[in-house]
Amino acid sequence: MTDVSVVREIDAAARIAPDAVVEPFCVVGPNVTIGPGTVLRQRVTIVGHTSIGSGNTIAEGCVLGARPQDLKYAGGRTLLIVGHRNRFGREVTAHIGTEAGGYVTRIGNDNVLMSGSHVAHDCYVDDRVLIGRSVLLAGHIRVQTGAVMEEFCGMHHFVTVGRFSRVAPHTPVRRDVPPFTDFGSPDHARTGAPTVRGAHEAGIAAAALKPDEEKELRFALRELFDDESALQTKIEQLVNMGVEGEAARLCEFCNRSLQGPYGRYRELFRGKVPPEAREHLPPDIGLDPGRPMR
Amino acid sequence: MPQISPKSLVSETAELAEDVAVGPFSYIGPEVRLDAGCVIQNNVSLVGKTTLGQGCVVFPLAVIGVPAPGEAEGGQCILGEANAIREHVTICAGLDAPTRIGNHNLIMIASQIGAGATVGDHGIFDNYSRIGAGAVVEDYVRTSGFAVIADGNRLGAYSFVAAFGSVVHDGPPYAMLQGSPVRVRGVNTRNLKACGFGGDDIQALKRAFRELFNGPENQVNPKVLLRLASRKDLNPYVRKLVEAVRSASANEADDD
Repeated sequence: MTDVSVVREIDAAARIAPDAVVEPFCVVGPNVTIGPGTVLRQRVTIVGHTSIGSGNTIAEGCVLGARPQDLKYAGGRTLLIVGHRNRFGREVTAHIGTEAGGYVTRIGNDNVLMSGSHVAHDCYVDDRVLIGRSVLLAGHIRVQTGAVMEEFCGMHHFVTVGRFSRVAPHTPVRRDVPPFTDFGSPDHARTGAPTVRGAHEAGIAAAALKPDEEKELRFALRELFDDESALQTKIEQLVNMGVEGEAARLCEFCNRSLQGPYGRYRELFRGKVPPEAREHLPPDIGLDPGRPMR
Repeated sequence: MPQISPKSLVSETAELAEDVAVGPFSYIGPEVRLDAGCVIQNNVSLVGKTTLGQGCVVFPLAVIGVPAPGEAEGGQCILGEANAIREHVTICAGLDAPTRIGNHNLIMIASQIGAGATVGDHGIFDNYSRIGAGAVVEDYVRTSGFAVIADGNRLGAYSFVAAFGSVVHDGPPYAMLQGSPVRVRGVNTRNLKACGFGGDDIQALKRAFRELFNGPENQVNPKVLLRLASRKDLNPYVRKLVEAVRSASANEADDD
């Protein structure tokens, strides 16, 4: 039997935990860190300044940490940070950040990325997110905890996908998806512009809210999205009523989305270091979040 | 000397320029030619009669020059200079006519280019774009994710296809195209500005678009087309637009 080390290309400078598994035809670059218990199946490529935590499973043909497809990227030490216990399906791709977009692409913990999905430069994917088959996350996107994106969704740059929301299959998402909502085209033929279609029941269940909080959240969802006209006024009404907890957070989220151009809050950070960078930028890069970039 | 990883397999008869780099686990077939400065990263397959111009970069797991689905044998595949072929891209070789890709294109992750397709220069094709067999894509075209240019259709220069858009008839130049099948949503002003078009030309195109695409569902208005075509003093770009739309209509009539 062929010695497995012959059919792998692991740079001598890569830091790989002793119990991590690297299967044949994998390529691991010099600036890569791989934590304990992480498994790289065959033909996985991990390059760039990429750190991968513990207990991840990375299936065949994944390419993590490659150069961003953004034309503004001109090289430089930018990072891809992957947390723990994520499952990457086959041929998932995730790119390192760009200098103009905040240096970091981050994938949190316990996420599932199904085959063919793509996490572009400067995205922040939080925890327990389900990214369906061939879902495309364009650059600078934030996906909050527990969100579900079903297969073949395409996310526009700078979109935020709220907590425990769901995006229906084949949806082009061009604006922020509010938390706890079911987002998709209004009709089966997918002709209309995608919009909020109602509450995402499985998401509300997964969040395990207290009965009072859930009741208030459902009330807020009905108020805001039964008819999306005059959203700003309705948000103000809810805030004046003194809603708390998740309902208040929902109002804050929608308010922010209204501030951003095209209903995308993160557009406000175009060309700046986004606020999340405060938590995730390694200190040696030494950047002030909010600082305008070149 | 070419920098060829000892873990790659390069056929003896493949022609590699001096400074070509080939990563581990890549396969370069016997009839492949790579010009100066090409970088073939790891796990790439280059097969068939494939030629890559100077400075092309091929990312992991891309496959170039394979036979089209259902075909037993491949043909020719000719790429120009400085193309970036990203991860998991498939480019099929043309059997009757070669698959031709111009210069300075960026073909993003998991895009597919069919057998015998022709792509111009400076195109940007987003993830999962599909250019069908025998399709013709002119210069400076940009597509968004999941865009489809169906087999045998022509897409005019400087046009943009929005996400999930499918071009199932010939698409005009300078246009923003959206929907499935695509509808003309206006002039691709941003791309035209970026490509150095003058304000007068853009205004002329905008006027022409408003007049020309005012049929039901933004279809071409044949009367306006005739009127514009008979004018002698047309802006040269509008002239190109009118010619493209006329030949598209003629092609459609042939199909019927």
